[in-house]
Amino acid sequence: MRRRRALITGITGQDGSYLAELLLEKGYEVHGLVRRLSTENHVRLHGILDRLVLHSGDLLDQRSLAAAMRKSRPDEIYNLAAMSFVATSWEQPNLTAEFTGLGVVNVLEAMREVCPGARFYQASSSEMFGKVRETPQREETPFYPRSPYGVAKVFAHHLTVNYRESYDLFACSGILFNHESPRRGLEFVTRKISHAAAAIKLGLASEVKLGNLDARRDWGYAPDYVEAMWMMLQQDAPDDFVIGTGEDHSVADVVAVAFDEIGLEPEPYVRQDPDLVRPAEVDTLIADASKAKRQLGWEPATRFERLIRLMVRADLERLPGDGVQRLPVAASAGAR
Amino acid sequence: MTRRALITGIRGQDGSYLAELLLEKGYEVHGLVRRAADGPGPNLQAVWERLVLHEGNLLDERSLREALAAAQPAEVYNLAAVSHVPLSWERPVESAEVNALGPLRILDAIVAGGGEARLFQASSSEIFGGSGGAPQDESTPLRPSSPYGAAKAYAHQVTGAYRSRHDLFACSGILFNHESPRRPERFVSRRVSSGAAAIKLGLAADLAIGNLEARRDWGYAPDYVEAAWLMLQRQEPGDYVLGSGRAHSVAELVDAAFAAAGVEPGGRLRVDPAATRPGDNDYALADPAKAREILGWTARTGFAETIAEMVQADLERLRLAD
Repeated sequence: MRRRRALITGITGQDGSYLAELLLEKGYEVHGLVRRLSTENHVRLHGILDRLVLHSGDLLDQRSLAAAMRKSRPDEIYNLAAMSFVATSWEQPNLTAEFTGLGVVNVLEAMREVCPGARFYQASSSEMFGKVRETPQREETPFYPRSPYGVAKVFAHHLTVNYRESYDLFACSGILFNHESPRRGLEFVTRKISHAAAAIKLGLASEVKLGNLDARRDWGYAPDYVEAMWMMLQQDAPDDFVIGTGEDHSVADVVAVAFDEIGLEPEPYVRQDPDLVRPAEVDTLIADASKAKRQLGWEPATRFERLIRLMVRADLERLPGDGVQRLPVAASAGAR
Repeated sequence: MTRRALITGIRGQDGSYLAELLLEKGYEVHGLVRRAADGPGPNLQAVWERLVLHEGNLLDERSLREALAAAQPAEVYNLAAVSHVPLSWERPVESAEVNALGPLRILDAIVAGGGEARLFQASSSEIFGGSGGAPQDESTPLRPSSPYGAAKAYAHQVTGAYRSRHDLFACSGILFNHESPRRPERFVSRRVSSGAAAIKLGLAADLAIGNLEARRDWGYAPDYVEAAWLMLQRQEPGDYVLGSGRAHSVAELVDAAFAAAGVEPGGRLRVDPAATRPGDNDYALADPAKAREILGWTARTGFAETIAEMVQADLERLRLAD
């Protein structure tokens, strides 16, 4: 039997790199779409880079997507590329709409032209629920996004459903709640805290500035979530699924676990900075992932406390000799 | 002081009726046009000389900022769109660039200009998709069934997000079908009125229709642009469903048009399944209670009256052309 082939957009990101590892493990030939940059950002693909086939392309260039699909002839396409940070979407709303919203139209159109039989996964987001209409949120919960990022993700979700229904494509939308890991970008609060706690423990930093400590989210472990993506594309029929843990925790909970892991009291090190408090545009997001459990047999293997501890330990291991990783502490702590 | 308004899509059905309404109310009316040299077109003949035009494009942010800076409008009406659902399946990227990112660029231009101008965003019943017949109001979940609907849903939601984030007076009017003699022929109402007139004058033998069962909430466009204006005169910004609250089938539309033209229906109608659109909504019906209660607005002009006016206009046009 020939090896199955998958094409991943956003392969250099947290989810893309975990998904690439998972698919390689399952025997796939893994292709990735990468933008040409003056400095390569393959740090998350360390260890598997020589086993991947990378194609140069961009979500904003439909022709480059079609070319990548012609070369990779994928059985499965995972669209994970996006401008993925909510706060930045207020500063760069157009870019966000182009990448996160219109990008999916380009992928779907290229797919229709080149490989309409391929299966398609769209990375949707809990930010689509925004000011939530019900708690917890499930597949039927109406969307009420409150940021250019959330609105663009809703657009992409609608297009995915429209193309499935009108063109009979095997297209699935996975509505993923927050999912973290040691590969999470430093601009995200969990990683900011795990990284700062490790830096403080090692004497490389003396404090961490945070915004709203009461903000609550449903945080899971990214490797569990990419497995759900793959499971969706193995079903008999395409469908949409909410993926999350069903538990919510506060930023203060993240701080408590992270500092417990390094054996220090957080009080002397954590400062609340009013400049970092974002307007409460989004309510508490909690997933009802019972459909994924029922139909996919998916459940999160790693829960909140274990997740935060493993992130802190990874930062503790990485930090001492890692000048590249050390610099962003001050920068990100000041900026956000 | 003379109030100033800036209208995008001013050449279209709604834009031209709105321009007439605002001129009548004493506004200085500015229009955003892609090329002023294109002239007034069919809809702006009567008011062309009284308009202040700015060249610009919804795809070009700077042109929007410049038009706003030059016009200094108290009110902005964003009516420009690629406005036909089937076209959005043929050109989904263009549809999204104009219908989704266009409004985003206008919002950004308003924020950049100080955030004082009030915005009317032309939203559409297509954001709801089909409902199976239940009336749709401001709290109906969005479930668009075409790239056009999805782009309009984006515009609708981003308008709401900017309203709360930047404290803008930005409103979405969720317009159900609204027709007039100025409706382009690619829309079913006008295709039927024009077809009935052509049969009456012996210029056509019959009329081909895709789906006779589809039901829509059809109103009269001049009534709807008045609602757009009313929305911007309130103390508080808000979104409003604008429709008649009555649904009619395409079969009833044909009956009304034939009756107005004085055409005997027997043998004049041909059902052509090829004319059915993908992702077509089979049933759209507005619940306009909020507009009635808060704006005091109702769709005054009835269904039969609207169709009759369209048929009369088509009869005159075809007689002149003959």
